[in-house]
Amino acid sequence: MNSSRRVRKLGRIPHYTFLAVIGILSLFPIYFMAVTGLKNGVQLQKNPFNIAIAHPFGNFYATAWSYLAHPFIHTAIIIVPSIVGILALGMLSAYAFARMEFFGSTFLFYAIFGLLLIPGFLTLIPLFLEVRGMGLVNNPLGLILPYIAGGQAFAIFVFRSAISDIPEELFEAARIDGASHLRMLWSITLVFCRPIMVAVGLLNITTFWGDYVFPSLVLNTGQSTAAMAIGNFQPPPSVSSINVTNMQFAAYTIVSVPLILLFIIFLRYFISGMASGAVKM
Amino acid sequence: MVSGTQGDVGHIGSERSNAYSSASIAARQRRRKMSRTLKGWAFLLPTFVFIGAFAYWPAVRALEGAFTSWDGVSPPTWVGLGNFRQLWHDTVFLDSFLHLLWWSIIGIPLGMVASFLVALLIYRLGSNRAQYWFRLAFALTLCLPGIVGILTWSNFYEIDGLINTILNGIGLHSLATAWLSNPKTALGALIFMGFPWVQAFAMLVFYAGLQQIPRDILDAAAVDGIGSLRRVWHIEIPLIKGQLKVILVLSIIGITQNLLPPLLLTQGGPGNATWTPVLYMYEQAFQYDTIGYALAIAFILFVVSLVLAILTMRFLRTDAEKRRRVA
Repeated sequence: MNSSRRVRKLGRIPHYTFLAVIGILSLFPIYFMAVTGLKNGVQLQKNPFNIAIAHPFGNFYATAWSYLAHPFIHTAIIIVPSIVGILALGMLSAYAFARMEFFGSTFLFYAIFGLLLIPGFLTLIPLFLEVRGMGLVNNPLGLILPYIAGGQAFAIFVFRSAISDIPEELFEAARIDGASHLRMLWSITLVFCRPIMVAVGLLNITTFWGDYVFPSLVLNTGQSTAAMAIGNFQPPPSVSSINVTNMQFAAYTIVSVPLILLFIIFLRYFISGMASGAVKM
Repeated sequence: MVSGTQGDVGHIGSERSNAYSSASIAARQRRRKMSRTLKGWAFLLPTFVFIGAFAYWPAVRALEGAFTSWDGVSPPTWVGLGNFRQLWHDTVFLDSFLHLLWWSIIGIPLGMVASFLVALLIYRLGSNRAQYWFRLAFALTLCLPGIVGILTWSNFYEIDGLINTILNGIGLHSLATAWLSNPKTALGALIFMGFPWVQAFAMLVFYAGLQQIPRDILDAAAVDGIGSLRRVWHIEIPLIKGQLKVILVLSIIGITQNLLPPLLLTQGGPGNATWTPVLYMYEQAFQYDTIGYALAIAFILFVVSLVLAILTMRFLRTDAEKRRRVA
């Protein structure tokens, strides 16, 4: 105790300073993005660090948004059904593994768990050929169906342990009242698992929102997702070449905003979900 | 099911008086078991339809496709080990593996050390409140989409980008270069991208591990007057070995499939300076339509990363696992 107190007293100032400096450096790209989008090229050349406003009405942001509005809608059309599918199917399976006894349950669980060993690069090419073969190129379903499949293993893994943690007495009481499994899934399990479902949903949204490679194979540029839009960014001819960087960063900032907002709104779930996912690994 | 019931009747045989009833009980039990199993499978069916079609099937196609010559349109023809023999003489591919090796040797320790250091420093902060806010600040980097971070760094590396601005500002004009288009610096620029390399997810995992260290161990160490550095080496690192191992395995898998930075920023160039196996696979498949060749690369990469992951799991066995194994 004594030594730890001494260390704490002596170490406090450099300790906090060091952490703060690393923290600021880690968050610096976010700051840089946001302020570069406000400046013009000349102001950026003069000082890349300060906050300067080129157009009081946020011209670069407005132009970038007009370019990103459609990709935002396309991305939402893909993400919403994917998340619903992952949560619904994941919950059904996790419930079966946690609360039902049936032949082959251990084997089937490992069959799902083994998916975590199959890396994305291995299936990328055949998956694309398969989606093309099904005629789903340029169709949101070409992403939604693989996304739902890809999200299953992790969701089931996390949901199963969450469902096992629910007190058995609740299910006992429900069984005595003659409740079916679907009924118990709906009125007991879903109520208890809401936080972990939000957490898993958020983690998947973060992944899908930033996904670039697979969408750029399946969709053409007319159907761009937000990540594709900034990856293939072509500044409109109305923007003079010295300001192109500022336009780009305005676009990057806009693409980051939804995730930052989600993070702030669901802060509690984010942290608890990360923690539970981490501890149970 | 019917034949099973008959078998039981025959087996019970001599105890005629009980035979019928116990057989029917057994049958009823079996029927109940069967209906339970069908119900369980019904819950799992949707998941298995999806993972069968979009995870297992493409994985099987990938593994068998590695032994074929295939353009993705006409049916594949079996070539045995032909693709692998060709890869053995493909200098771009061999170089790409060397790049991946450098990337792993430098990149994985950078990320792990930085994340561990931050987790440790946050864990050792006196106040819970300060711990919370620092964790939050670092976790905020999680919601920066990866592609945005990469594009931002590509701008930092440009000839008039932030890094050269800083170098010029402190008088090191001679060091300034177009980092990503100079063949001497391109690979290094990709590897060192993302300074200060703290990965929020790894940091949170390490932090969670540190928090589980029992209070009495720390107290005993304090009584023994153990120093701060020795406490890291003898207590904190050994006790979160499980977390370190998990992050190491995830880092190995993550770095082998790290396609986005070279794809977006260098496309293997300048010259052949920044090819990685996964980028080479991607270009072979989608630029040249040599799907079989690309899948052979994927096959090798998959085997290598799987073997490395298994070796890591085996050699870094935690004490708890050793005990379990003995018992």
